[in-house]
Amino acid sequence: MVLFFQLLIDGLASGAIYASLALALVLIFRATRIVNFGQGEMATLSAYCAWQLCEWGVPIALSLLIVGAASFLLGVLVFRAVIKPVSKASTETVVVVTLGLFVFFQALCLWLWGADQRAFPAMFPGGGWDILGVRVTASTLGILLVLLCLAATMGAIFRFTRLGLAMRASAYSSEKSLLVGIRVERMLMLGWGFAATTGFIAAALVGPRLFLSPTMMMPILLYALASATLGGWDSPLGALVGGLIVGVAESLGATFLPFIGADLRVVIPIAVTLVILLVRPVGLFGSSTVVKV
Amino acid sequence: MNGTRMFQSAPAVLVASVALCLPVLAPDFMLFEFSIAVSYGIAILGLNLLLGFSGQICLAQGALFGIGAYTTAIFNVNFGMDPIVTLPFAAIVTSLIGVLIGLPALRLQGLQLAIVTFGVASAFPQLLLKMDSITGGVTGLAIDQPMAPRWFPGSQELWLYGLSLICAAASVFMLSRLLRGDTGRLLRALRDNPLVAESLGVNLTKGRLAAFAASSALAGLGGGLFCILNGFISPQSFLPMKSIDILIGGIVGGITSMAGAFIGAVFIVFVPGWTTAINPALGGLIYGLCLIAMMMVARQGIAGLPIGRGLQALKHLFNKKGLSRVSGAVPGQLGGE
Repeated sequence: MVLFFQLLIDGLASGAIYASLALALVLIFRATRIVNFGQGEMATLSAYCAWQLCEWGVPIALSLLIVGAASFLLGVLVFRAVIKPVSKASTETVVVVTLGLFVFFQALCLWLWGADQRAFPAMFPGGGWDILGVRVTASTLGILLVLLCLAATMGAIFRFTRLGLAMRASAYSSEKSLLVGIRVERMLMLGWGFAATTGFIAAALVGPRLFLSPTMMMPILLYALASATLGGWDSPLGALVGGLIVGVAESLGATFLPFIGADLRVVIPIAVTLVILLVRPVGLFGSSTVVKV
Repeated sequence: MNGTRMFQSAPAVLVASVALCLPVLAPDFMLFEFSIAVSYGIAILGLNLLLGFSGQICLAQGALFGIGAYTTAIFNVNFGMDPIVTLPFAAIVTSLIGVLIGLPALRLQGLQLAIVTFGVASAFPQLLLKMDSITGGVTGLAIDQPMAPRWFPGSQELWLYGLSLICAAASVFMLSRLLRGDTGRLLRALRDNPLVAESLGVNLTKGRLAAFAASSALAGLGGGLFCILNGFISPQSFLPMKSIDILIGGIVGGITSMAGAFIGAVFIVFVPGWTTAINPALGGLIYGLCLIAMMMVARQGIAGLPIGRGLQALKHLFNKKGLSRVSGAVPGQLGGE
């Protein structure tokens, strides 16, 4: 039983990371109906920048702030330069473009920093607490706390601010929003910016757990895609819950299902995706859309 | 664009004649690399059918390619079958597995297939390692390469190159027959306007599934050929990036052009070799930029590049005269390769 709870806690911690990248994916999908396969690699680039700043002697908190803002700009830039020109094109075209981002940013990190792994500075103090034999480390708690803050901030922006309302409106119907005077394009740009920052937060959370490497976000992206599919692509809440469920499922499955084990844990997100697509294709919290002929 | 017309068009003739002249021009080791390119080309043909003609995106083409390769290897190692005889089995087995993967995703929009197949591509090497009792795990499998028969005058490389060309010709022939017939028309209708096609009585899921099955079969055939050419396979050959490489080949060559599939395959075989000498990351940068730029500037790929804007004006002119279709091909466009 202790083992079960321990795995549950560990699963929640990794689930929080999947959830934050899934949140970034969902933010972009809601705004522009695009799945950004390059999201993880953009986040890797940001994480490398943060690491580089720390290496140059900038305190970690300050470098995280600077890179958070820079990530926002990166998202805006990518949207302006690459996504906007193809935004009217077919799904396949856009998927190919975002895959291009994926390959490009991965190669860029490899070019700038090489293939060697780098140790990302820890953000949370070491140590932890034993609660009835279950070890809860400070970093686990910290990760969950960051996710909670992220979710609360996003929720508050969307729910209570004019900006959030305008963003929701342009995601809902861009033509009608234009008619009532919302600058839809600016909203989409902001959506991409927020998503890039959220992705960076995910990468900064992953950084200390793994080592920095140009391919570090590739497996995380897979889990995030599964989380977003599970939660529903148009629901930020779904992304959070989906991420946590996928994290727990991975942690429990890898231990309790003998034919999966540690080697095949990557199969779990695929299984989750296939099951939810068969049972409820719009996801747990997604809303089905009606297509007009 | 029409399948038949494309097969007869200039890039196809050019690619075919270059392919036939190669044994005279290229040394044996180059011939081997070109044979590998042909095996990728067959997998890219499958992607052409799926992405170019039915508007579905599959990011696991490299994994399906691997399933074909392992089918050939396992049939050879365990049952002692001649590797060449295993090729049809490689195609059939891969096609079945492809359908199993695609079944849940194909009911939905194109995005779901992309997401599911991305997962499959990531999990495939792990799966190979896990099933080490039949796949040989990390050490991989070595097969008995088919030897050139005694009457054959050329080298072993030439014999394998000839084998690749025969496989490629068979694939192109089958695919152009498929595209020329009802299936081709049905697929194009589904790609261009699924809603209208469905309301006219076309079965969306069935059509997509058929395209996916055929595309997987081609990937499997290419994979089987790859296994024969290499004589040895291991999970290292089928990492997730392989699927993206194949997609890049398809896009660069031109996703609706059969000749383009082979141009793209040559691109993905030779570019990494040339660029790693300068910087290991350069290949990736070029790939990424190619994917983005091709989508923004030249959606027809290299097999449709130099015409670009000029032909569009021409097309406009022809349209006025009532000729709605202009076959997008001019000779001499390989100059840029």
